[in-house]
Amino acid sequence: MTHPTEGAQDDSEGNYARHVAMLRAQMERGIVGGNRECPYFPCHHPDQDCTFCFCPLYPCGDPLLGEYVVSQRTGGQVWSCQQCLWVHRGDVAASLYALMPELGPEGLDQGTRERLKGELEGKHRRRAKAIMVLGATSGAGKSLMVAALCRALRNRGLTVAPFKSQNMSLNSVVTEQGEEIARIQELQARAAGTRPRGELNPILLKPKGGVTSQIIVEGRPYKDCTVQEYYSDFVRNEAPAIISRNLERLLRSNDVVVIEGAGSPAEINLRGRDVANMYVAKLVHADCLLVVNVERGGAFAYAVGTLALLDEEERRLFKGVIINNMCPGGGSLGPALEIIHTLTGVPVIGEVPHVPDLYLPMEDSMDLDHREEGEGGTVIAVVRLPMISNFTDLDALALEEGVRVAYVRSPAELEGADAIVLPGTKNTVQDLLWLHRSGMAAAIKERAGKVPILGICGGYQMLGRTISDVRGLEGGAPSEVEGLGLLDAATVFDAYAKRTVQVTGSLAEGGGEVRGYEIHMGRTEGRSPPLFLLAPDGRGEGAWDRERKVMGTYLHGAFDLPAFRRLFLSQAGRKDAVPGPPGDHDAQVEASLDRLAFEVEGHLDLDALLGGDARDG
Amino acid sequence: MPCSGVMPVTGKVMFQGVTSGAGKTTLTAALCRHLALQGREVVPFKAQNVSLNSFVTADGREIAIAQAYQAWACGLEPEVDMNPVLVKPKGNGQCQIMLEGRPWRDLGPGEGGPEIIEGLRAHILEAFHRTALGRDAVVLEGMGSPVEMNLKERDVANMWLAKAVRSPVVLVADIEQGGAFAGLYGTYLLFDEEERDLLRGFIINRFRGDASILRTGIEELESRMEVPCLGVLPLVRFASPAEDSLSLSGGVGGRKGDDVRRFWMKELDRLLEEWKGAWDVNRLEALGLRP
Repeated sequence: MTHPTEGAQDDSEGNYARHVAMLRAQMERGIVGGNRECPYFPCHHPDQDCTFCFCPLYPCGDPLLGEYVVSQRTGGQVWSCQQCLWVHRGDVAASLYALMPELGPEGLDQGTRERLKGELEGKHRRRAKAIMVLGATSGAGKSLMVAALCRALRNRGLTVAPFKSQNMSLNSVVTEQGEEIARIQELQARAAGTRPRGELNPILLKPKGGVTSQIIVEGRPYKDCTVQEYYSDFVRNEAPAIISRNLERLLRSNDVVVIEGAGSPAEINLRGRDVANMYVAKLVHADCLLVVNVERGGAFAYAVGTLALLDEEERRLFKGVIINNMCPGGGSLGPALEIIHTLTGVPVIGEVPHVPDLYLPMEDSMDLDHREEGEGGTVIAVVRLPMISNFTDLDALALEEGVRVAYVRSPAELEGADAIVLPGTKNTVQDLLWLHRSGMAAAIKERAGKVPILGICGGYQMLGRTISDVRGLEGGAPSEVEGLGLLDAATVFDAYAKRTVQVTGSLAEGGGEVRGYEIHMGRTEGRSPPLFLLAPDGRGEGAWDRERKVMGTYLHGAFDLPAFRRLFLSQAGRKDAVPGPPGDHDAQVEASLDRLAFEVEGHLDLDALLGGDARDG
Repeated sequence: MPCSGVMPVTGKVMFQGVTSGAGKTTLTAALCRHLALQGREVVPFKAQNVSLNSFVTADGREIAIAQAYQAWACGLEPEVDMNPVLVKPKGNGQCQIMLEGRPWRDLGPGEGGPEIIEGLRAHILEAFHRTALGRDAVVLEGMGSPVEMNLKERDVANMWLAKAVRSPVVLVADIEQGGAFAGLYGTYLLFDEEERDLLRGFIINRFRGDASILRTGIEELESRMEVPCLGVLPLVRFASPAEDSLSLSGGVGGRKGDDVRRFWMKELDRLLEEWKGAWDVNRLEALGLRP
């Protein structure tokens, strides 16, 4: 069985008559969106629109959309548009459907087809414009700049997608399809109004401790490898194809793709090993922007130095420098900025102020040491595990008024805390050994029954009696490690399998909506009553030992909705823990994205940035 | 005075940072400590410091805690001439200017015209010459980035001073956030001829991992900037008095029952131990710190 449009179409008389018959049937069906009943769905990608399975514009002869190939049957030239996603975009399909004239058995003549295509091109790009945001340093503000641009462009009615070829992060989320991507790309997808999915962040590296990382490709665990293997083998042999196929699909199905770089593009010691910065920019001829953080000083030096260390071809792709995090109301760096243009040929196109009090997940940071977030009387001590991951789980707590989240690593720092959180980890066994070694395990046990103790994911596993790594999957010999024994539960790692799933449910006691996602290897079984009941079948999740005030869950993001936050803070002695705003996490994030986009658009000439035709990358 | 007419020459070197928080303060303290342990009479000097963490000298003058710390590293009591100008932000863009350890005046945003700058410069040079007199060496610390082109005319602590006292300059870059090569090279490109002539080397600070991975990049930069790399310093967690909010570091513990100054010096000695072999102290000394 083959797909009806698979392979080159045949332009012989009889075939065109069949094509027209199918077209007329399509027009009768109306707008169908994604046709999930079709056995071939999705033949391109899950977001495709199937209204026009057969394209009324066929054969359009547009080299951006297809190509002439040799017919296997006749040996003649035949138009092939297998890779064209234009007519499968929902917005394009709707426009075309509205424009279509009455369709007789003779089909559309060439003149009509050309007129229709012309009108469509006036409204929709055939191929996305690529804009790429690069940073002079890590933490320059690239990620939020991409989110701001995505939101501002979406607000103009454009179809937008963010893209980052390779991300190294321990903060990942699980999409509806069970794909794992960096949390920051999920936020950018939300800003763009597009579905979060693996193709937006096709390579995700999750450090596992030591020199080993897990590689996630297109949202699925691919393999573990060392840094050395990653660069010498994966980057060289596998990454280019992965990046190309995902980016190409995005370019064919959007008006604009906003690409984020990684770190600095001028790490001259790593020349030839880059798949995240200028490699991608050159691949799609992206219009590049360099973001420089002004906060620590040296902005002039970083702007000039970064551009000067690139080669001429790379430098020419840059349309502007953005000075970021200017002091709000603090004035401009003034005419002195012209020296950047003079020395590099690239103008400064904007000075963007720091936007205060954004309710957004924090940017990735490997440097959480002694970090404190939020302010106020209730202190939540988060144990700073050596391989801590998904610490964005605590963002929603830190944003509560009167709550301070402190990352701690020594027993003394637990004193005075109103609650303790054992967060997620990329390596449960190694971090559990560290807990024992550092004296933290004993200190936490000592606090049980006095203050609430919550374990999330790896932290949950640690709270149990034992962790059996029967196959040495956590990097080491097969072992059984003693947990903290605060929950009557045991965890077994017995398969190289990872559970990545989004879940919803409610608090097991008293109800209240809960939402989250699981990302873990290993299974936990125990006898404590569950913490949550999950949809659709009311399955119990997690554990809650009321007497000892110990809770455990696999749910990341469990604090995002107010119900669990309220429960946890009330356990921490906050009688007044009925949150006013920020109550609904989602609404707060949306409002922050709009505010961010507004600020950025107010300090950048977006029209100039969008100017020029879509490139024929 | 010897009849040969040769004045004893005070050696000088100045650390300038690619950014704030690049590690100038620590590097200055460490070099001071290293020289002092060899029996050299060395003093720290920072023309102007912007800080809310201050110390009061024996004669009741207020200086930045960072210079007091560097003085202790030299085995000296802190003196006001080690930090003649201290700027204390008061919020709303207002700053209190401490001149020679006493409140002088408040300045608002945009204030600080040429006559004020000239006045400060005169005080700074006098303080420098007083503190350098009779000493073997002065280790100078710059302030922020030396190439904030919008502020260059008002510079009192970076290249203006290096030119005025003809001090060799070593640039320090923090590599933790990436972009260190770009920051160093961009700083160099923004220097004028005379400034490039004073530049004698660069140091990469807070590196994690195997430094050999940087080799090709360092070689390229050495050839572009025509000065040597004098060190790739590993990231070391250690305790020192916080200088400003950017470098707030947490407690390391273990200072119970000890005079905290003695503890800081122990920590500095530990740092020197950890840096052994990572920086070329001989070449740094050869810049003018040897008799």
